[in-house]
Amino acid sequence: MSKYTIKQLSVFIENKQGELSDITSLLSKNKISLKAINLVDTSEFGILRLLVDDELSTKRILDANGFSLTITEVFAAEIDDHIGSFNDVVTILSENNINLEYTYTINNAKNGAFIFKVGLADFEKATKLLSKSKVKLLEKI
Amino acid sequence: MIWNKVESSSLESLRKLQTKRLKETIKRVYTLTPFYKKKFDELGINPKDIKSIEDISKLPFTKKQDLRDHYPFGLFTVPMSQVIRVHSSSGTTGKPTVVGYTEHDMDVWDEVMARVFKMAGTTEEDIVHNAYGYGLFTGGLGLHNGAAKVKATVIPSSGGFTDRQVMLMKDFGATILASTPSFALHMAESASKAGIDYKKDFKLKAGIFGAEPTSKGLKKEVSKVWGIDYHEIYGLSEIIGPGVSCSCKHSDLLHIFEDHFYPEIIDSKTGEILPDGERGELVITSLTKQALPIIRYRTGDITSLKREPCACGRTMVRMESVVGRADDMMIINGVNIYPSQIEHVISQTEGLTINYQIVVSKKGHLDALDILIEISDDVMIDSISEIENIKKSIQHNLLNNLYINANVKLVEPRSIERSVGKAIRIIDKRE
Repeated sequence: MSKYTIKQLSVFIENKQGELSDITSLLSKNKISLKAINLVDTSEFGILRLLVDDELSTKRILDANGFSLTITEVFAAEIDDHIGSFNDVVTILSENNINLEYTYTINNAKNGAFIFKVGLADFEKATKLLSKSKVKLLEKI
Repeated sequence: MIWNKVESSSLESLRKLQTKRLKETIKRVYTLTPFYKKKFDELGINPKDIKSIEDISKLPFTKKQDLRDHYPFGLFTVPMSQVIRVHSSSGTTGKPTVVGYTEHDMDVWDEVMARVFKMAGTTEEDIVHNAYGYGLFTGGLGLHNGAAKVKATVIPSSGGFTDRQVMLMKDFGATILASTPSFALHMAESASKAGIDYKKDFKLKAGIFGAEPTSKGLKKEVSKVWGIDYHEIYGLSEIIGPGVSCSCKHSDLLHIFEDHFYPEIIDSKTGEILPDGERGELVITSLTKQALPIIRYRTGDITSLKREPCACGRTMVRMESVVGRADDMMIINGVNIYPSQIEHVISQTEGLTINYQIVVSKKGHLDALDILIEISDDVMIDSISEIENIKKSIQHNLLNNLYINANVKLVEPRSIERSVGKAIRIIDKRE
């Protein structure tokens, strides 16, 4: 596992009233801190991607409450405030034939980051290439 | 293990026995019930005309409605003083059907249930956890008496209280489970939620499952999750209760105890008898019943008969697992479908559980089929396309195997309501 591996939880949720708050209230009740939340949806269901301070407890809590979820590995590149900072990352990936599965951004008070998901087989290669470039990869969120 | 040597008798001696018993039964119903006398007379049949078991095709059918019309005891052929037990259906679709048993009938029932328990390898060392409902439903007490007859220890836990049942099964060291297959799965879910290790914590070796039509996939799932031999039992209260037939460990086919229950397969629409191997409605004549003998009872269950010999040594005819109910058959845009066929396709698709619900509705002039299926807990999903793929694959399989277009909706694990008895699989919203 690369030192840049960040564990993300992907939860399958049905597209119905109260689903999201069911999950977030569970996390809040269990004092889990949400670092990032990203929801992709279709008319019937969605996938909720979460970065939290304690993945294993979160997984246990959601499992126990009947949610179907999986832990995925992603990496994060710090947002540098210049034009093309996102482009720098995707160019390196694309030039090296690494397919980007999805991406989203997160922010906090001090700075922000892009979250990237690539295929498992490409993970090491991608983080190695990026850490050698001027892109700054985060070791944790 | 074979309980009674009659189970492996020659066809010739079996036919002789059946003929003798049919003649007695015909005489009995003709002389003792106005209903059958009238029916026979109308068709110009005299009991003397029935010379061999093959003549059975001359006899009229009996339908569920006939029992309802004579509610509660109108078809009984003995005075109530000789009736020692009464059972009844739930009556969800009208008046309940009521059945009665004399002491002799109870002995027959215990006998066929003992055969079932022996088929599942039960000895007096075994502990039978009986989770069939006790009461007017024949399941609980039927299984109970059979287990007692082979001198096993019976735990009469009845239905419901899933968590407690799991605890009892573990603590009492049950070796044989008797329940509906959907309840067996439900208990497995509950056990795994409680962090119980099947291999270590349970001693189950076999299960006797029935009371609902079950696909191969569901059977495999139950047998896999509990790590046990799956014995399917079939029966219906109008004939005796559970114990009409049961599968041994050699195949999925169910041995019919045809020395007591004579089976035929007919075309539901025309009433014509179909040859062995062809699917149709199962019709059963009780050959030894005293309190409520029934002639050519239309069970409504769709199955077929197979006459090849079985490795276990039993020679009586076998039936395939019931595919569905004649009245359960859905016609979706002109295609005949049984829920169990859909269930089978679901069970073949990765990433899904066997918990599903079929909703049929009208969209304009066409029938629309929505199928809700729970995705499994351990499916690794991180993208919409993976879910879309599961959806597409099941829709493709349904179209390919059953020629139906269905809208599949994947839902969260455990979001479809669980039933403790028979699972509710179809919701038909059409007029």
